[in-house]
Amino acid sequence: MTRISAATRSTLVIAALLAVATAVVAATRLAGAEAPDFVLKSLSGENLRLSEYRGEVVMLSFWASWCGDCRAQLEELGAMRARYEEAGVELLAVSLDQNRRQADELATGLGMSYPVLHDEGGEVGRLYDVSRMPVMVLIDRNGIIREVFEGFRRGNEQQYLERVQALLRE
Amino acid sequence: MLARSIASAFLVAVLVAAEASALAQQAGAETVAAAVPEFTPRADQGAEQRDEFRTLDQNVQDLKKQVLDLNRDLFLLEEELLFPANTQVAVFISMDVGEFFGLDSVELKIDNKDVTNYLYTEREADALLKGGVQRLFVGNFKAGEHELVAVFTGAGPHTRDYRRAASLVFEKGIGPRYIELTISDRETKQQPEFIVKEWE
Repeated sequence: MTRISAATRSTLVIAALLAVATAVVAATRLAGAEAPDFVLKSLSGENLRLSEYRGEVVMLSFWASWCGDCRAQLEELGAMRARYEEAGVELLAVSLDQNRRQADELATGLGMSYPVLHDEGGEVGRLYDVSRMPVMVLIDRNGIIREVFEGFRRGNEQQYLERVQALLRE
Repeated sequence: MLARSIASAFLVAVLVAAEASALAQQAGAETVAAAVPEFTPRADQGAEQRDEFRTLDQNVQDLKKQVLDLNRDLFLLEEELLFPANTQVAVFISMDVGEFFGLDSVELKIDNKDVTNYLYTEREADALLKGGVQRLFVGNFKAGEHELVAVFTGAGPHTRDYRRAASLVFEKGIGPRYIELTISDRETKQQPEFIVKEWE
């Protein structure tokens, strides 16, 4: 096994810390701000604009077909949306795949019944500072970003549920 | 905005300083006068002071008015500098009937340069069909000849994908230019029609 020198190790550790810090700063910057508006074409062909969902709690999820955690997160969010749809919860799943076909295949495979959008040029991803995946942005009824969740691990869904329920009670 | 606030604050400071200096001079004159034995009756002195205060109050009111006027002028100047009406070109879009065309997006180019690419949601397209007029773009261009190209994408007759372009060469002179893109139905050909026209 190749030995990594102390200097290289320190550089790697610093780089990793910087990456984490940047991601945290980006997420913090967005929380509390008005959700940047955008319009994207959905996989079903219609154009959807975020601001048209004012009055509903929106779970905006950024994902890609190659990301395993994204699939797991989407399954949980999809179930939550099915349960709370009538109470005014919507899920917008934004695919950052370069190829629309890849997004289409996964959407069909997972049986996504909610709006799936394709961010072809990655502009919306940049607008929301998406630096890792998955990212779930929770937007309240007034269009304000209340929380940004980066990454996904089993058990996180409980946290999502609590936040969504709290927003519905407001 | 910041520059205007600074300018206003500076002007207020200068005017207040000038007023303070005048007051100081008056106070100095009063001090000298106080050293001189006074023979005027007290009632007259009171009346003089009242007059002085009245004049001072009047001066302050005038100063306030001047500051407000200046603030307004600066605001108008800033607006004219940032959005000069003389170089402005605004493009609007409207729809008439829309039986042969379902609008999906409009791509707008001026002088072969993309200026906007707008995707329409169902609600927005409905609003246009109900008579709404949308300001699609506003920008500043120098005087001279310019070419506008609008590319319309959507569902044509029999819900087939449809893509058409319409163009207009316009002369930008002095004063703003308003251009309207109109989508209407041509009954005789059973096709949509795309018109680009200038408002006089």
